[in-house]
Amino acid sequence: MVKFKNVVKAYENHVAVKNLNLEIPEGELVVLIGPSGCGKTTTLKMVNRLIEPTSGSIFIRDRNVKDLNPVALRREIGYVIQQIGLFPNMTIEQNIDVVPRLLGWPAEKRKRRVYELLEMVGMDPEIYAHRYPNELSGGQQQRIGVLRALAAEPPLILMDEPFGALDPIARESLQDELKNLHSRLNITTIFVTHDMDEALKLADRVVVMNQGEVVQVATPETLLRNPANDFVASFIGKNRLNGDSLQSVVEIMLPDPVTVHPQMGLAEGLALMKRKKVDTVLVVDEQRRLLGSVAVETLDREHKRARTIGEIMNQDPPLTTIRSQASAKEAFDLIIGEKLKYLPVLDENDVLVGLVTRNSMVSALASAVWGDVGE
Amino acid sequence: MGDILALTVEHLMLSAAGVGLALVVGIPLAILITRYRTLAGFTMAVTDVLQTIPSMALLAALMIYLGLGNQTLVVTLMIYSLLPIVRNTYTGITGIDKGLIEAGKGMGMTRWQLLRMVQIPVALPVIMAGIRVAMVTAIGIATLGVLIGGGGLGAPIWRGMQIVDSSMILSGAIPAALIAILCEFGLAKLEKAVTPRGMKASSPAKS
Amino acid sequence: MLWRLRFGVMWVSDFIDFIRSNLDVAAVATYQHLYLSFGSVLLGMLIAVPLGIWLSDKERLAEKVLAVTGTIQTVPGLAFLGLFLPLLGLGVVPSMTVLFLYSLLPILTNTYTGIRGVNPAVVEAGIGMGMSPRQLLFMVKLPLAFPVIIAGIRIASVYIVSWATLAAFVGGGGLGDPILTGIMTADINFILMGAIPAALLALAAGWILGMVERLATPRGLRG
Ligand SMILES: Nc1ncnc2c1ncn2[C@@H]1O[C@H](COP(=O)(O)OP(=O)(O)OP(=O)(O)O)[C@@H](O)[C@H]1O
Ligand SMILES: [Mg+2]
Repeated sequence: MVKFKNVVKAYENHVAVKNLNLEIPEGELVVLIGPSGCGKTTTLKMVNRLIEPTSGSIFIRDRNVKDLNPVALRREIGYVIQQIGLFPNMTIEQNIDVVPRLLGWPAEKRKRRVYELLEMVGMDPEIYAHRYPNELSGGQQQRIGVLRALAAEPPLILMDEPFGALDPIARESLQDELKNLHSRLNITTIFVTHDMDEALKLADRVVVMNQGEVVQVATPETLLRNPANDFVASFIGKNRLNGDSLQSVVEIMLPDPVTVHPQMGLAEGLALMKRKKVDTVLVVDEQRRLLGSVAVETLDREHKRARTIGEIMNQDPPLTTIRSQASAKEAFDLIIGEKLKYLPVLDENDVLVGLVTRNSMVSALASAVWGDVGE
Repeated sequence: MGDILALTVEHLMLSAAGVGLALVVGIPLAILITRYRTLAGFTMAVTDVLQTIPSMALLAALMIYLGLGNQTLVVTLMIYSLLPIVRNTYTGITGIDKGLIEAGKGMGMTRWQLLRMVQIPVALPVIMAGIRVAMVTAIGIATLGVLIGGGGLGAPIWRGMQIVDSSMILSGAIPAALIAILCEFGLAKLEKAVTPRGMKASSPAKS
Repeated sequence: MLWRLRFGVMWVSDFIDFIRSNLDVAAVATYQHLYLSFGSVLLGMLIAVPLGIWLSDKERLAEKVLAVTGTIQTVPGLAFLGLFLPLLGLGVVPSMTVLFLYSLLPILTNTYTGIRGVNPAVVEAGIGMGMSPRQLLFMVKLPLAFPVIIAGIRIASVYIVSWATLAAFVGGGGLGDPILTGIMTADINFILMGAIPAALLALAAGWILGMVERLATPRGLRG
């Protein structure tokens, strides 16, 4: 389906992609992964000619992309970016049917397609078709971003960290949906990420890149069992390779708890907590060192007297915390024993690295027992 | 020729006087309204409306009450210079990064020290931009001073127009245009010079 | 002193009587004023909007063009009329020429920055989905820049309406005429007969175009 042949992309003082050779068969979902700046985006954008290679050729179904009109080429390739980039001046329906419109599909067919796609991801067209992007949550917006790329039934779609900016829950459910869509539609997909969990979850094959070069191309299983070298192994991460889970407290915590700075205003704090649906937030300084916590009741009670979070934090009993080197068992014991609602995890410099809650504990346990469970 | 030079100097002095008065009134006013935000909307609305009155009309109306001569002209110039100065000082100060203010407070600065050592220096480029706009506007309006018996480069333009004498018109129009342009460039240079090294990014202009 | 001033309390009823008896003068002046201002802003739009669009992907050239229009902007109105007098003579033509030149800067600046200010992610999505440059302009960039462009036209209109009083100096007509008469005869009635409608027109132009700006803002961009 897609073939890279000796592809090089060099900038004035930097070679972004060095002699790339890769073949992607029809219907495969390939994930490009690697550290920041390793050339993933460059590789992806050379396929739809947003970037022209310095040398080498790229073929789609044996046609050299260089010989194709770039505008026509792009209409045959779905494209999803991290910043989503929905057209804010268009409704959801108009956003989804941009490419069909460019291709001159009749109105009736376009509408049917839009409704079919929205239903496919469980978004009621009657509700959502006529909304505008800013009336949707981030996760819903990116769902539309994906639908928009699928609209004209392209044989190939390119996705550049499409879920990178979403919160963990939305990311997870979009991954599930993508996996689902892919197994149903079998569209060849090139997916860029730097999240190894995401790669292992989605990929038929993973392409690990480093400094413009392909280091290993393998299925997730092979990658886990036989990493080609130390770089790949360290990139996959020790815990995953050991296979033995729930050793460390790090594995049962939420990596990204809701935090605020002490100079944040009370109203803003309250709004944030409403939005994130939490009843307590942790207060951290610029270095993310934990300063204290504020409960929603305190915020509510003090909003007349105080102006910033800083003035009212730590009115609640002192926090019990745990070091990130501690074991998962210690965290369990603390939470159960002291009847804590939550337990902040700090590294040796008191920097907040995560938060263990009863919920995070239970889901970690569940996935250890039954494997990865969905929502 | 000497005449023209004298008129040019006078023109500049009159404009500078108007802007100077506007600074004396406008900067404290702007600082005041940063503390009492409810006043801010009101002040901005008033200066906005003043700005829509054609300068010729305000000049004429003030003449009825303040009489003929330069004092009326200078008051008019002050009124038109107020908007850019108040607006820019206000947005300059309120636009300062909250963290910076926190840092200042955290170091134990009093309100006054905070204003003098942090807020004014950081807002200075924006304030200077206001002064530049005010000065160029004032030079323009000052050409109308001749109508109410004021001095400046308006006189040869106006008299030349009455007797349709091109060279007399140009002897006023060319220096008036030149000093406006030179002021614009000179004050823009100054604006760059007072911008702290660390924040030399071009910001979009908004009117 | 050239004039003796007629001081005194100006009764509103006096002024209303005055306007009543001079209604024809006021009407003609207002009509001419509208004609002058909107004619020049319209002309400014016709030139500056396409120019701004054309410049939007030519940064170097755009900076130069904006610098030139910025310089034009600083030239005092009366001096400008004076500079053009030997070329264009008296009347409506030089007045509209000067007003037109003044209207260029805000419209051009806003068109240019409005188009360049469109979120680059949205532009990339458009290109990546296969829009031609023209489609990208009409389907994405222009609709998104539209409110900013209208704001430029609003800013231009408000002060062109106010500056159009200068046309009286070169016999271009408009509401500057009664103001000038008022100054010559030291009669506040004439001054107000010019000043009040001129200020009201400026406020109305600002208000109406502000409405257009809000209506032109795509629903998806409103707060
Ligand atoms: N226009 C450019 N000029 C010069 N160098 C560039 C240009 N675009 C990208 N690069 C460089 O090429 C390299 C690869 O960039 P690329 O965007 O492909 O990285 P990436 O793997 O997508 O990284 P990330 O995970 O951060 O998105 C980087 O080192 C980048 O700095
Ligand atoms: Mg990238």
